[in-house]
Amino acid sequence: MADQIILKPDADMTFWDKHRLSLLLIITVLIAVTLTVISMIAYNVSGTAQLDLSRPGLSSVSDKVDKGDKITEYSSFGPVNKDSINEFTKLYDEQAKKAKAVDAFNGDPLNPETLEFDVNANE
Amino acid sequence: MIRVLTMLAVVAAVTVLLGLGVQTAHAQSNSLTPEQVDRIKSNCTSIKSTLNQLHVSDALLRVNRGQLYELLAAKLMDPFNARLSNNRLDSKATSAVTVSYRNAFDSFRNDYKAYEEKLSTALKIDCVNQPELFYTTIEQARVNRTKVHDDVLKLNRYVDDYRTAVDDFLLNFERVSQ
Repeated sequence: MADQIILKPDADMTFWDKHRLSLLLIITVLIAVTLTVISMIAYNVSGTAQLDLSRPGLSSVSDKVDKGDKITEYSSFGPVNKDSINEFTKLYDEQAKKAKAVDAFNGDPLNPETLEFDVNANE
Repeated sequence: MIRVLTMLAVVAAVTVLLGLGVQTAHAQSNSLTPEQVDRIKSNCTSIKSTLNQLHVSDALLRVNRGQLYELLAAKLMDPFNARLSNNRLDSKATSAVTVSYRNAFDSFRNDYKAYEEKLSTALKIDCVNQPELFYTTIEQARVNRTKVHDDVLKLNRYVDDYRTAVDDFLLNFERVSQ
């Protein structure tokens, strides 16, 4: 027996029957907005924003990120003897030297004198 | 009833006066001389340009340094500690330094975030119309940047401490092996 489509007369339709499509669209938009807001909060709170060099004004340096500086991973497995420890210290010293090579965030570039708004600077 | 109302009025008045006092003290501590205000207003564009350059260079520095510090722990310290543990050797000293190193790295990350947010806020302030607020925000960013530098020094110290812990381990290991 073929399925029969039963159409309700307009008068019998409830409010939700009449606005089903609109409701679907509104809920979809609300879900999308909520998820976007949650994502943006997570992006800002987690500190990811500070690592994002594609942000406006920072894209000029995005290609200057060290990409070729790969660290050889030391294996967690294997024997511990003088040779394996020396192998480790060799790898470690190499990276430690790089880590300490730059005295990052030193100086005082935000000093009023440096920024030239300290009246005593030119006196 | 009248007594209660009078007391409430007195409490309210004292609260308002105290609030005003605190605000005035705060404003005075952050107040700039008229010369400084003039200087900020007249050099506004060049100051903002300098801050912009600093913002960009520090962002790159943060990414590169952070990557290096993170990999040092993930690819060298952790695997070495794990190897010692896997061989049932004493890894307490090296593990303790790694924990301190990771804590210092967390502080570095959080302090940089605080610094970057303050600097970004300063860059958004109209220094011609709000020179005092601009100055205060830069001062806060300055304090936060000093903290980031302190974190870097701390991390470097832990890098050395870890190396010392490995040397100590090697000494003990050789002594026991003989």
